[in-house]
Amino acid sequence: MMDEIIEEEEYTSQINSRTLLRILELTKPYRLWVAGFLLTIMLVSGLDSFFTYLSKRIIDEGIVAKDPNTLFRISLIYGSLIILQALFVFGFIYLAGVLGERIRYDLRKRMFNHLQDLSLSYFNQTPVGWIMSRVTSDSERVSELVTWGLLDSTWGLMNILTASTFMILINWRLALIVMAIIPILIFVAIQFRKKILVEFRLSRKFNSKITAAFNENITGVRVVKALSHEEESMNEFAKLTSQMYSSSYRAAWLSALFLPAVQMISALAIGSIVLYGGLQARYGMITIGGIQAFVAYITFMMWPIQDLARVYAELQHAIASAERMFSLLDTNPEVLDRPDSISDWKIRGDIEFNNVNFAYEDDVPVLSEFTLKVSAGEMIALVGPTGGGKSTIVNLMCRFFEPRSGVITINGIDYTKLTQEAIQSRIGVVLQTPHLFSGTIKDNIRYGRLEASNDDVEQASVLAGAHEFISSLENGYDEQVGESGNMLSTGQKQLISLARAVLSQPDIFIMDEATSSVDTLTESRIQKGMENLMKGRTSFVIAHRLSTIRKANRILYIEGGKIVETGTHSELLNKRNKYYRLYTQQFRHELELEYGPIYTG
Amino acid sequence: MEFDVKSTISKNRLLGLWRLLSGYKSIYSAAVISLGIAALSKTGTYMLLRYFTDQVLLDPSTRSQNSNLINQLFIIALGFVALAIMEGGFTYTSGRLAARTAEGIALRLRNYVFDHIQRLTFSYHDKTQTGELIQRSTSDIDALRRFYADQAIGVGRIGLLFIINLIALLNLNTRLGLISILVVPFIILTSISFFRKVTKAYEAYQEQDAVVSTTLQENLTGVRVVKAFARQEYEREKFEKDNWEKFLRGRRLLMMHSTFWPLSDILCGAQMLGGFIFAAMMVINQTISVGTYLAYAGLVVWLIWPMRNLGRLIVQTSTGLVSYDRVMEIVKEEREDLITGNSILSGPVRGEFIFDKVCFEYERGVPVLENITFHCPSGAVVAIMGLTGSGKSSLINLIPRFYEYTSGKIFLDGIELKNYPRAFLRRQIGIVEQEPFLFSRSLRENIIYGAGRQVTEEEIISAAKAAAIHETILNLPNNYQARIGEKGVTLSGGQKQRIAIARALIKDPRILILDDATSSVDTQTESDIQAALNILMQGRTSFVIAHRVQSVMNADLIIVLDKGRIEQIGKHNDLIQQPGVYRSIYDIQTLIEIELEKEIASAELMHKSIETE
Repeated sequence: MMDEIIEEEEYTSQINSRTLLRILELTKPYRLWVAGFLLTIMLVSGLDSFFTYLSKRIIDEGIVAKDPNTLFRISLIYGSLIILQALFVFGFIYLAGVLGERIRYDLRKRMFNHLQDLSLSYFNQTPVGWIMSRVTSDSERVSELVTWGLLDSTWGLMNILTASTFMILINWRLALIVMAIIPILIFVAIQFRKKILVEFRLSRKFNSKITAAFNENITGVRVVKALSHEEESMNEFAKLTSQMYSSSYRAAWLSALFLPAVQMISALAIGSIVLYGGLQARYGMITIGGIQAFVAYITFMMWPIQDLARVYAELQHAIASAERMFSLLDTNPEVLDRPDSISDWKIRGDIEFNNVNFAYEDDVPVLSEFTLKVSAGEMIALVGPTGGGKSTIVNLMCRFFEPRSGVITINGIDYTKLTQEAIQSRIGVVLQTPHLFSGTIKDNIRYGRLEASNDDVEQASVLAGAHEFISSLENGYDEQVGESGNMLSTGQKQLISLARAVLSQPDIFIMDEATSSVDTLTESRIQKGMENLMKGRTSFVIAHRLSTIRKANRILYIEGGKIVETGTHSELLNKRNKYYRLYTQQFRHELELEYGPIYTG
Repeated sequence: MEFDVKSTISKNRLLGLWRLLSGYKSIYSAAVISLGIAALSKTGTYMLLRYFTDQVLLDPSTRSQNSNLINQLFIIALGFVALAIMEGGFTYTSGRLAARTAEGIALRLRNYVFDHIQRLTFSYHDKTQTGELIQRSTSDIDALRRFYADQAIGVGRIGLLFIINLIALLNLNTRLGLISILVVPFIILTSISFFRKVTKAYEAYQEQDAVVSTTLQENLTGVRVVKAFARQEYEREKFEKDNWEKFLRGRRLLMMHSTFWPLSDILCGAQMLGGFIFAAMMVINQTISVGTYLAYAGLVVWLIWPMRNLGRLIVQTSTGLVSYDRVMEIVKEEREDLITGNSILSGPVRGEFIFDKVCFEYERGVPVLENITFHCPSGAVVAIMGLTGSGKSSLINLIPRFYEYTSGKIFLDGIELKNYPRAFLRRQIGIVEQEPFLFSRSLRENIIYGAGRQVTEEEIISAAKAAAIHETILNLPNNYQARIGEKGVTLSGGQKQRIAIARALIKDPRILILDDATSSVDTQTESDIQAALNILMQGRTSFVIAHRVQSVMNADLIIVLDKGRIEQIGKHNDLIQQPGVYRSIYDIQTLIEIELEKEIASAELMHKSIETE
């Protein structure tokens, strides 16, 4: 249980100064902004202390001395300084706040741009959620540190410093008493803040577990009910909520104790001031206004101390965030364009895999000594069991990954001598689970060729067999597809991604057919679209449909990273081996679907 | 559940929130009283300061007597410390009590709503969106927690500070007191209107934040598409647009803050300074003492500055009220009755079913099942066939009383189904769906899910073996401890189904409901599943939704449904003789085999002709 909770919270126990420096470097382009908010906040906190000092003088020189003129004179200064301070307040909120937003923006941008360059292997190993947290919450925490954190601690330090100065000016002996207490206060405050932060994080963890529990029990409610599991579910959930209760209750009462504790300690200082100040007043060593000023300084001392403690406690976590963020930024892409790569190369031509070896993980070979020669315009169907290596062949073809050894050539040249862009912009890919971006259908199709006109988009859709269903939608091509396209069915998404591939006018076409069944009409449209797309192009299809397989010039039965059987449909069928078994099974399955909708449940 | 949240529902939301405090009313009141005492102590501190100034510092008589002075100073110093301890102690007590109330209520609500949701009817869940339910159970309950923890108590704190300090001020000097709060109504109004605006701006900022996240997420999940079309540049520009918009909205928000706070600073500052001058003049005119001035100067701070935050609390309170409505909308729904029923049986049922003219409709006037009549002896296998929407699932859903039939009667062991308590009935029934829902916990836990008793490892393994899933599990990392879901393993439809079969075997029910597999699993797996199902069905009354003739041939009774009516009923050998749906399905199956033969023969022929050429 505990292991799971601290899972992501691994941070170096001491504050890493190199990381801290790197964080500060983020503000480099905005040195003036930082200087601006630091200056204004210093002035604000200086003025705060000065106001208390002015109050003292109002009391001593105006009230006790019964001098209305001095009273008005000092009040006038007081009043003008209030307006001046308001200006500074405007300044620091604006400067620090906007700079915070700006640094957040910069960090997100930097990470996003960097992510675009990283290789597919990175995304295969790194969960999307992890990356998301870096770009969203870690960037927040780090920018918070260099703006508000820096500002608050400056304010706090300045406040303590200026208040101490005025106290020394008023009466240095009393000031010493107060200053003796400050370190104690800061120490206590930091201990508190750290404890509070730990509890808060813990309760946040429980909170996300509670959300997950709700999520699961609601999505699976039918199973829960069918299995009469209500009681057990409730008991499990109650355990979680009571853990949540204890940690968040603890966090809450620790927070509630924090300020009173600081207040009570500072009350000791007030008591001492009363005792010694009262005695000193007798000899005229301190005035009434002076005592009042001391009381005021001590009373408000808890705010800067609170801020300092908060920033200090959060510092460690912000640095941990920064370390994770920098680790993302420091990752280098695995597939890189070589220096002097050729960006202009005719991709239409023969493709060869020569003794290609590949593995995603070091000790688990996926392809071994794989050799294949494909002539321009040929259509290759890849069939075989899951995990046999079909997708890997496609991944290597697209150069999402590069062979560990062996060579892949396109039109006679080792493809690592070309830029990735040169290859990928000439390949049209349709994935098994088609991925769409939120936006309109038109936007999604145009993804294939950004400068395409509306007519081009429509033409491509006609060729892909998508036009009919799109025009039947209320808003036609301007229909919103929803987040990740979830307003559309899988078949429809596939048609759109076909149109997208058609629009890109690729030299090589790669398709991973969907296994899930779509309705017959959509299915026949997809088949038509594929046919149009494959005409005259070299194509690789990870095939599941018989009609696709039959069309292939060559069928490769891939198993265990090797080509086990190869040939035309009738050749392979005649062997009555692996392909034969696969084919007959699929044949029965498809005909059942075709003949009787009764079978589709 | 010892506390029924439903009983607290009220149309008046504040009354409802008050009732929700049930059990915590005294604690919460104590929290408010503690706040009052803390505020009083603070006021006391300034009164003590007044006494200290007037009676000690400025009184010539005390000044002359040294020992008396030290004594007095000591007592006053102690007084300051004591008052601070009181203030601190009661502030803490109040915070702790409020936290206990808020956390306690949140805990109670979470548990109640969780249990409530899982006990609501199937029809409720049919029409309710999952996301919406989760939102209400989590964020809205949290908003209610904050209502008790921060907002209600915060408004109380500011109110009490204001009232107590105002009374003290009025006591010091009525005119002075009244003058000091001139600006307060104005501050409250501006602060409310500011926080309304800022809340809206903040929502806009949050919305854009969601847009940025979506763009990022789609880019990450669609990374293959991005790379395949080499669209990195385009993606960068798209993200840049959203990212920049977020920056702009954040800047707007900050512009609002950076105007409000200094302006209100000036307003509050002017009020304070005006009061100081006025009070100072009163001292000079000898209307009030110097000590009174000092007390005034201290008190007035607590009267004015907290008012700026009142607007924030009030605006937030209104969101708490909205959350109250949203949570209560769930709470007021009726639960499914699981325990009442006339027929209390101790042992398992035999499993004999009689359907007598059963009709069912989800919506009034739209019949889904009509006049379903058949008899199923204990231990028999009933196969149900029909097109999508013919009523197969609806018929099966009546058996565990997921839904109630609208007319006619169903008898189980001679007793009408409505007389069995739902919980009892469901314990007698095992269900294996085509693509069963598995929970994101270990495989082991999924297999024993719903067993309702201690299960030994041997039992689990033998069930898994019988369900033909044991080998697959052994090949997974962590075997039976492998977690299902995001961070764990993903199973195929067929594998999930076999887990569900193992689950049903452990449950060992008298009645079975099965959904036959159609997904394209390979031949070997298919026959494995079929064998597992056969083991499962042995000796149990089974209802099977069937998709192919092969799997119903041995059924004791075959029911062909069409538009909610029984189209054909009987055994395979009878039905095959009659003209009708069943026979045509059967014919198609034979036809497929013939076509396959033809196809292979033609391929061979073609191959041979190529060879001979």
